[in-house]
Amino acid sequence: MRHRSVVAALVALLAFAAAGCGGGGGGNEGAKGNENVSGNVSVMAIWAGKEQTSFQAVIDGFEEKYPNVSVKYTSGGDNLAPLLSTAVEGGNPPTLAAIGQPGLMADFAKKGAIKPIDNLRDKIVDAFGEAVADAGSVDGTQYAVMYKGANKSTIWYNVSTFEEAGVEPPKTWDELNKDRDTLLAAGITPYSVGVDVGWPITDLFENVYIRTAGPEKYDQLAKHEIPWTDPSVKDALKIMQDVVGKSEYMAGGTDAALQTEMPASVGKVFTDNPDASMAVLGDFAPGVTKTTLEPETGYNVFTFPSIEGSGPSVVGGGDLFVKFKDSPAADAFLEYLTTVEAAEIWAKRGGFSSPHKDLDVSVYPDEITRTVAGSLADAAKENSFRFDLSDLQPSAFGGTPGQGLFKLFSDFVAKPNDIDRITQQMEAAAAKAFK
Amino acid sequence: MTVDVQTAEAPSAGPPPVAEKESLWQRYGVAAAFLGPALIFLAVWIVYPTIRTIIRSFYDRDGNSFVGLDNYEKLFTDDTLFTAIRNNFLWILVVPALVTAIGLVFAVLLERVRFSTAFKVAVFMPMAISLFAAGVIWRLMYEKDPDQGTVNAGVGVVKDAISPSGVLSNARPSTDALQGGPKGGLELKTAIRPGEVARLGLTAIRESDVPEDAEQAVVPEALSGGIAGVVWRDFKPGGGTPGKLEQGELGLPGVTVELRNDAGKAIAETKTEPNGTFAFEDVEPGTYRAAIGSDTFRTPYAGVSWLGAGLILPSIMIAYIWVWAGFAMVVIAAGLAAIPRDLLEAARTDGANELQVFRRITIPLLAPVLTVVFITMLIYVLKVFDIVIAIAPGSVQDDANVIALAMWRTSFGGVNDFGLGAAIAVFLFLLVIPILGINIRRFRREV
Amino acid sequence: MAAAAESQPVVLTESPAARIVRYLARTPVYLILAFIGVLWLMPTIGLFFTSLIDPSVIGREGWWEILSKPSQATFENYRAIFDNEQITSSIWTTLWISLGGTIIPILVASLAGYAFAWLEFPGRDWLFLVVVGLLVVPIQMALIPIFSLYNDLGLFDTILGLVLFHTAFGLPFAIFLLRNFFIGIPRDLLEAARIDGASELRIFARLILPLGLPAIASLAIFQFLWVWNDLLVALTFARDTQPITVAIFSQLRQFSANIELIAPAAFVSLAIPLVVFFAFQRYFVQGLLAGSVK
Repeated sequence: MRHRSVVAALVALLAFAAAGCGGGGGGNEGAKGNENVSGNVSVMAIWAGKEQTSFQAVIDGFEEKYPNVSVKYTSGGDNLAPLLSTAVEGGNPPTLAAIGQPGLMADFAKKGAIKPIDNLRDKIVDAFGEAVADAGSVDGTQYAVMYKGANKSTIWYNVSTFEEAGVEPPKTWDELNKDRDTLLAAGITPYSVGVDVGWPITDLFENVYIRTAGPEKYDQLAKHEIPWTDPSVKDALKIMQDVVGKSEYMAGGTDAALQTEMPASVGKVFTDNPDASMAVLGDFAPGVTKTTLEPETGYNVFTFPSIEGSGPSVVGGGDLFVKFKDSPAADAFLEYLTTVEAAEIWAKRGGFSSPHKDLDVSVYPDEITRTVAGSLADAAKENSFRFDLSDLQPSAFGGTPGQGLFKLFSDFVAKPNDIDRITQQMEAAAAKAFK
Repeated sequence: MTVDVQTAEAPSAGPPPVAEKESLWQRYGVAAAFLGPALIFLAVWIVYPTIRTIIRSFYDRDGNSFVGLDNYEKLFTDDTLFTAIRNNFLWILVVPALVTAIGLVFAVLLERVRFSTAFKVAVFMPMAISLFAAGVIWRLMYEKDPDQGTVNAGVGVVKDAISPSGVLSNARPSTDALQGGPKGGLELKTAIRPGEVARLGLTAIRESDVPEDAEQAVVPEALSGGIAGVVWRDFKPGGGTPGKLEQGELGLPGVTVELRNDAGKAIAETKTEPNGTFAFEDVEPGTYRAAIGSDTFRTPYAGVSWLGAGLILPSIMIAYIWVWAGFAMVVIAAGLAAIPRDLLEAARTDGANELQVFRRITIPLLAPVLTVVFITMLIYVLKVFDIVIAIAPGSVQDDANVIALAMWRTSFGGVNDFGLGAAIAVFLFLLVIPILGINIRRFRREV
Repeated sequence: MAAAAESQPVVLTESPAARIVRYLARTPVYLILAFIGVLWLMPTIGLFFTSLIDPSVIGREGWWEILSKPSQATFENYRAIFDNEQITSSIWTTLWISLGGTIIPILVASLAGYAFAWLEFPGRDWLFLVVVGLLVVPIQMALIPIFSLYNDLGLFDTILGLVLFHTAFGLPFAIFLLRNFFIGIPRDLLEAARIDGASELRIFARLILPLGLPAIASLAIFQFLWVWNDLLVALTFARDTQPITVAIFSQLRQFSANIELIAPAAFVSLAIPLVVFFAFQRYFVQGLLAGSVK
């Protein structure tokens, strides 16, 4: 009697509260009810300088919609991963962070450092497609929103060198080799290679492998269901010799390639006095160097050519936003990142590719970005987008300078004929990491 | 009171005379007052973390399960770590002694010279710039390309003075018809006779490298009783047909063409015209070979690979010494400044020459300060980190690896195995203790 | 008095020839020093010129090219730094951290150094060895435990937290240096003072500190430099309270050559440590001890 009414009142109260939370939290499109969400959110990522300004604009757009939430961004620069690891160990991580390696995300998930965001999965799939959504999940649980994407299946070139040698951007690998030989005959070094700590070479491998072995085998290799000594891997390495196999193919020779950092290797091409003609690098290339050359007239890009008749595919990467500390404000921000508005703000400023399916490519500031970002979004739609393989590996194997894939691919450039030994070492390292 | 020379040898560290009324407690009390603050700082910020790290090294990477000595096992079986340990030993052998010696020499030289401040600032500047910037500077200096790296630019100037570049630095035959290489020159495979025309086509020459006065290449008329030919750049945009002299392809002037007899000896030489043609007149009947002399192709200096696997260790060491010599110099100069002038003058008036004064008085009095410098360098070298990470390019980080860097990479650099990282740190700690012990004992005898 | 008389140079009977020989003997020393000095400065000069090069040209040609094209020099890189508010506001923070992190360790280490040098108590030398041994502990080892500690104590992201950390890690070297220096002070001075009945504190303040000035000065220079240029500690223990090193570092784009930022930053950051150096190095004056015995 009295009890029942008390219980009823309590239930009503709870229902009210739940509705209130749900309404003010992540459930609404549009501007309504967004004053209910309040709090502070701290965000960390690698973006600094120009990119930081752009991301700040995105934050401003969010704060307009959610005026009671204050977002503070701190750049971690080069040091983001160690910073986050230390912060996690010490118990004081930021609310959100954007990381580039799914491997690191998986590590954090296993430790319980990041919170699942399964409630956002539907929105993510709606916006970016299954493949991209999967990139942000670990063992079936959603942990991240991939807001910014990178297309790594591109090759950049210096236009004047192509004109001087009389070559055209190739569509197939055979054409690329022929172009390379013509450039050599014209006295122009074909490739500018910066081995850096090794990761640019892993990108080359992944682009070749997905085309020679196909996306299914790519997935198998990523999960270590086939070994690195598989013939398909060796075949891919043989094809890579067409780029890094001979010292004369690379600016400064093999020695210089081994000592050059990635931005410097781009600088050698993006100049009016180039040391080499092409740089086999992803869509970030123009953003890492200051150049006086103009896009399309000075430097340009073509998509990674098909090999032995392979279909179009994109190997890429992205920045994955993960959540360390739960709060409605954090959820609101993550949800905002799945909207077209959020993508548009940065897209208009350049230096940004969004995997968003509904983003109109005309908002990108130039033709090059439109091509590159467009092909990324298309691949996302078609499910022929694959995340950078080395980023999918456990970080000890796939993401640490000085060991694992980074080191072994660097060794490959130093000794490109040592395919058997190097693949054996790769398999040994992989076995250790996947134990 | 005069201070005689003998007591200047080695001021002893023995106990000062103690007034009888002081008790043990009083002595400890005073000591505690003086030592207290230091000991508190050290205990909290250094000792406590050390103990926690030692404990952490016995756990696995996530810190949840006890694994005993597993991490330490990994230390000795892992290749990467082994290289790191070996490198640190090399560092210990070479660097501390060099730094101390250089610092001593500078400090002593400076004593007798006016305007020493300018020199001191110059040598000290590297430390003021920050180790990070210092590493960056040397990274730039060591660039392999002589157009960019200061060191190789210097070496290149010397090399070019000795053996300058030829007219064509890179060039390669456009077809199999030409054989050979930059060392022996390029020779036409097929022998020719008087009355025939030789064609030597070259590629891999940049359009901008073709001499200014070059003209469209032409195939010359056959010369009766002589040998005519043409040397040209066998390339036009798109490639063209190798071996065929086409419109748009330029002749190469100024190239030395040799006429060689069957034995391979050059019996005549001539230079090509702007259109690439050359001619040997009045040639005796017989078979000959036409060749492009090797001095045409001197490849430009490519630069020493300071940052390659072979030289990376010495390169980093040089940079490190450049930074720390200033430290040694300043500290030793302070030590020198504290030596009472009277002692030195007394010795000099007693008839000792400079060298004796230096050996018998200065050095012993400097011994404590020298110890500090040497041992500090020893320990810093064991911990060396910033400069390796700043200078070594990614591809040789393995060859240049040192223990502190290995620890960093293990704990923070992606592997995130804090247990293994802790083990490495503890190992570093254990390494130093015997080294420290030996050196302290050696210098204590003189102190 | 006696000391003054002794320090008069005795050149009365030197012949002109001998004097010329003496000057000549000195010249090679000057020459050698000048040569070494210039060589030593070259990398720094190189970096300075690099800071004047337009960003699009950096890395394409050596810095010496600019000597032949002086009109291409630009202060654009420096302007970019001063326009950056994050960087300019960090200078004050850096100053506070550096001052604190220099003065406190010097005080603490001087006291400890004196104790290890001239106070007598059992176990003194063993304790000293342990303290010096702590020089070994790499900072990385302390990062995580102190991080948790600071979190609990609320010292994270504070100037005080950074100052205390730098103090602690500066102590082993400071104590080592000062103790070894104090030991060189003639025993008689201390004996005399003790016989006169002076307390240890008085001896310390009136005798040891003034005599130890050269060592303290050099210590001040290094400790200041070390803290001013520190990156790692500030990066770990601070988020918003940024010294200049962190401010610059956070602008470093992961994939960029960054020279156009590092080069000018190094020189901007150089200004104050150089001032410190000039201020303190005049304490390296000879003969500080001469004459004070009387």
